[in-house]
Amino acid sequence: MAPAALEVLSLSKSYRSGLRRPPRRALEGLSFAIPEGAVMGLLGPNGAGKTTTLKIIMDFIPPDAGEVRILGRPWRDAEARRQVGFLPEQPYFQYYLTPRGLLRHFGRLLGIPRDKAEARIAHLLNLVGLGEEGDLQLSRFSRGMLQRLGIAQALLNRPRLLVLDEPSGGLDPLGMVEVRKILQDVKSQGTTILFSSHQLSEVEEVCDHLCIIDRGREVAQGSMQELLGREESYEVTLKERLEASLPGGEELSWEWVLPGRRVRFPARMLNDSLQVLARGGAVVEEVRPVHLTLEEFFLRKVEGGGAG
Amino acid sequence: MRVGAFSAVALGVVRDALHQKIFYVLVAVALAMFMMVPALPSAQVGVQLDLLRDGFLGLISLMGFLLAVILAAGVVHRDLERRTAYFVLSKPLTRRLYYLAKFAGVMLIVALALAFSWLVGLLFIYAKFGVFNPGLGKALFTVFLECAILASLTLLLSVHASPVVSCFGTLLFYVVCHLKGEYLSEAMADTSRNLLLRGMSGFFYYILPNLGFFNINETVAHGERSFPVGAADLLAMLVLAASFTAAFLVVGVELFRRREI
Repeated sequence: MAPAALEVLSLSKSYRSGLRRPPRRALEGLSFAIPEGAVMGLLGPNGAGKTTTLKIIMDFIPPDAGEVRILGRPWRDAEARRQVGFLPEQPYFQYYLTPRGLLRHFGRLLGIPRDKAEARIAHLLNLVGLGEEGDLQLSRFSRGMLQRLGIAQALLNRPRLLVLDEPSGGLDPLGMVEVRKILQDVKSQGTTILFSSHQLSEVEEVCDHLCIIDRGREVAQGSMQELLGREESYEVTLKERLEASLPGGEELSWEWVLPGRRVRFPARMLNDSLQVLARGGAVVEEVRPVHLTLEEFFLRKVEGGGAG
Repeated sequence: MRVGAFSAVALGVVRDALHQKIFYVLVAVALAMFMMVPALPSAQVGVQLDLLRDGFLGLISLMGFLLAVILAAGVVHRDLERRTAYFVLSKPLTRRLYYLAKFAGVMLIVALALAFSWLVGLLFIYAKFGVFNPGLGKALFTVFLECAILASLTLLLSVHASPVVSCFGTLLFYVVCHLKGEYLSEAMADTSRNLLLRGMSGFFYYILPNLGFFNINETVAHGERSFPVGAADLLAMLVLAASFTAAFLVVGVELFRRREI
């Protein structure tokens, strides 16, 4: 297994909203790790603790307990951030700047020599599709363009770890597609990416790892294949409608998709289920594996409070 | 401390300030009012030059203080509010560097405004009276020192307070520190008052700087005829201002380092 680019170890965090009110727990012993080169989606409903997690990773807020290691270094070491790129939710920039001017400014903060910075800026502006708008004032930019510029600034230092908070938040469908394409480009270059999102389709398309959190706790974590494969089931289509009811419902956990014609069984029950169907006089027309969609998986984990 | 990153943050403050109307409004109003001083009725009787210099120093001091306080109140707070601080603090630089560079940026813009006003003042006085008066720079230097104390305090307050509250806090500090020589020493020495009041007066008397000490406007405006201001005086003021500024900066850095953003 590849070494972890990011390790989040038993993070806990509470917020106090008043002296007399009890503190609200935002994170409770959250742990996860991202192998180097992987893309992990951090999913969870509103208030689950996604942004809090990212803020702790970036050392914007301290945890009550736990620690983070970035590429093997303690996260509070400013040097650890030399290899990290970050995009906050809904980025805002000084309106009077141009994309090139803004990236030059960040290049100076990163200590990139001017000649190297110019070449890198030109490359990044092309990568995010702003090559022709490099010298326009940001006051004329749309939300999607600002978001893409935000991604460009996060990539300026050729980060080994990219942390993005809702990179498609508030974008129209076209903007989302553009951001997704950029993330896939970055992924193909071997950069490790962690991003929080509400866009399940985006996560499904871009990520190979997943961490779902709910009320500050991790409820599922692992590779997409492992997590969605684990919940695999089979759908059996019958040649003729079955009028009789199926026996052994509780043990077999069957579920009618189309009453009398199409029934779904968990993968582990397939053989038993086929035998039961044959005994009941049903003629099987087709058996096909059904993979859980991310949406189904997410809803089960979050609504089920992590059970199952 | 990385010089490149420090100067990038500090110059960012200057660039931001130059895109704010408040900078131009304060400089323009101060200079316009200064140029109207010769039109005052009292300027017709005898002491026109001294009055012009006094008016110039008073107006430029006020401009400097307002600029330092208003800019310092917003320079970190606005970054946090608009979340632009995330971009900077996600880069490999410490919060201490960020905070100190913001302060340096504010002082740079105050220095720029004072230097520009000084040049305008010199030219105007020369055009009006044919007198070249570079000595006014001494008074502007002490204004700059006082601005450093006020800006460092405002920046400290703005770590947790809104710009309005930070400005108000600094205004209170400014008033108390200008009046302390007169009122606090009297209150401390007055045995007819209760002990708590005298104790508090004494505490504030010794802990707060006497900002009146930095005010050499009148002396300079009158050509330093009675009290010449020498290099030793300026050095003493520099040491005093540096001590208070450094103390406020140390506390501010520590508060900012612990602040959740």
